[in-house]
Amino acid sequence: MTILSAKNLTKNFGKKVALSDVNVEIPRGRIIGLLGPNGSGKSTFIKLATGLLVPTGGEITIDGLAPGIETKAKVSYLSERTYLNGWMRVEDIIAFFEDFYQDFNRIKAENMLLDLNINPGDRLKTMSKGTKEKVQLILVMSRQAELYLLDEPIGGVDPAARDYILNTIINNYKENASVVISTHLIADIEQVLDDIIFISKGEITLTSTVDEIREKYNKSVDGLFREVFKC
Amino acid sequence: MLRKLLKHEVKATGRTFLPLYGALLILTIFTKVAMTIGAPDFFSDNVTTGPIAEIILGIAFTLYFVLVVALCVMTLVVIIQRFYKNLFTDEGYLMFTLPVKTWEMVFSKLVVGLMWSVVCGLMLAISGFILSLGSFSMLEVSQAISAGYADFYAQFGMSLNVILFELFLGMLVGGVASILMIYVSIAIGQLFNQHRIIAAFGAYIVITIVMQIIASVIMVVVPLANLEAYMEGIEAMNAIQWLINGTTICNVILCVLFYFGTQYIMQKHLNLE
Repeated sequence: MTILSAKNLTKNFGKKVALSDVNVEIPRGRIIGLLGPNGSGKSTFIKLATGLLVPTGGEITIDGLAPGIETKAKVSYLSERTYLNGWMRVEDIIAFFEDFYQDFNRIKAENMLLDLNINPGDRLKTMSKGTKEKVQLILVMSRQAELYLLDEPIGGVDPAARDYILNTIINNYKENASVVISTHLIADIEQVLDDIIFISKGEITLTSTVDEIREKYNKSVDGLFREVFKC
Repeated sequence: MLRKLLKHEVKATGRTFLPLYGALLILTIFTKVAMTIGAPDFFSDNVTTGPIAEIILGIAFTLYFVLVVALCVMTLVVIIQRFYKNLFTDEGYLMFTLPVKTWEMVFSKLVVGLMWSVVCGLMLAISGFILSLGSFSMLEVSQAISAGYADFYAQFGMSLNVILFELFLGMLVGGVASILMIYVSIAIGQLFNQHRIIAAFGAYIVITIVMQIIASVIMVVVPLANLEAYMEGIEAMNAIQWLINGTTICNVILCVLFYFGTQYIMQKHLNLE
């Protein structure tokens, strides 16, 4: 069962090629690392899947549908930007998510806020960048989505919170849902990954399960990544 | 979903406007009280005020004027800022991944922007009404209005309501067209990778110039046909109606163009920073 499928997916920005002829199938029930150096096309791929960008060529489908209102209801997306309005309180943005996403679970969100000592009455503009990222991740993971697209979910948070966040990710998704995590902090997330996709200069260079990599190359994913993308 | 978008749009904008409207009401009442006490004969020809009353009234009027200008400017600023900031900056990453249709986003912002423009006008009218209380009698005003209607009917053989309705419709459509023109300019501006705000201003100016040219052409071609009727005087009101409704129709066409232009860009050429 495929949740996300890309066929000959190409995206150009002017003359710059961001993604070139990408073919990939992402099955349900997996945690996939989308790994590549800066500017390799990770974010572009995710934005195409969310419908924030329109492909130049080829197609991308979620559960068989091109990105649109139906897929947006199934996809929970964590952007690399902090997209929350500063004037809102955490409780306001929870109400916002509850209104627009039918799969949003308020109790889950409130429990996670409690665990991370975030006060629902606080305004977002008074928070540090790391705390805002935590709030955003809590919102995204409080949805019972079918596909989670997490663009750099742990970049700005401290190592202690990273563990909590990774646990949150593993424990919060439905059995037949998949999680795509884009990052270059591979060592930190390697333990939770089932599959990996290596992406470089807009092309997919390797797709594999993590176990295969350990058997075939006798290396950790992090080790292989450092070797493949050596400067 | 449209209802929810409208709800959140009102919530996001109301926090700016409600305090301003509150301030306007308080200042209006304060000014009115100061006028009643300090210059009871303010609206008569020979005003006599003491120096203290004069100073207080001076300050009150200045504040009042500043607030009225601020209200009008803020209405425009919020209309622009809600569309630009909420959709085309980082906040757009949230808005464009909500399971809502693009037209619903544009429409909700348009309706709420229009609503605040109307509320702004109403508040200013109410405030003006409060300030001028006591300077006229309701009876005289209603008499003057009905006399106006009667005169108009006698002169042109039609109800004044028709013209008033056409004027109102024209203003409404004109308001929608001006907001949509801002929207389409912002949408064009975000196509550029740098200097998006400048590009949006540029787009606005270019659209204005193109519209001016088209309007001049229409002005040259069309009224010539009615000019004769206009000169005869009898059909003057017809010519005015022509002008009002012609403008409304042109604005409707512009609305459609701007609206679909905006929606097309948002659907096919979204280019968030």
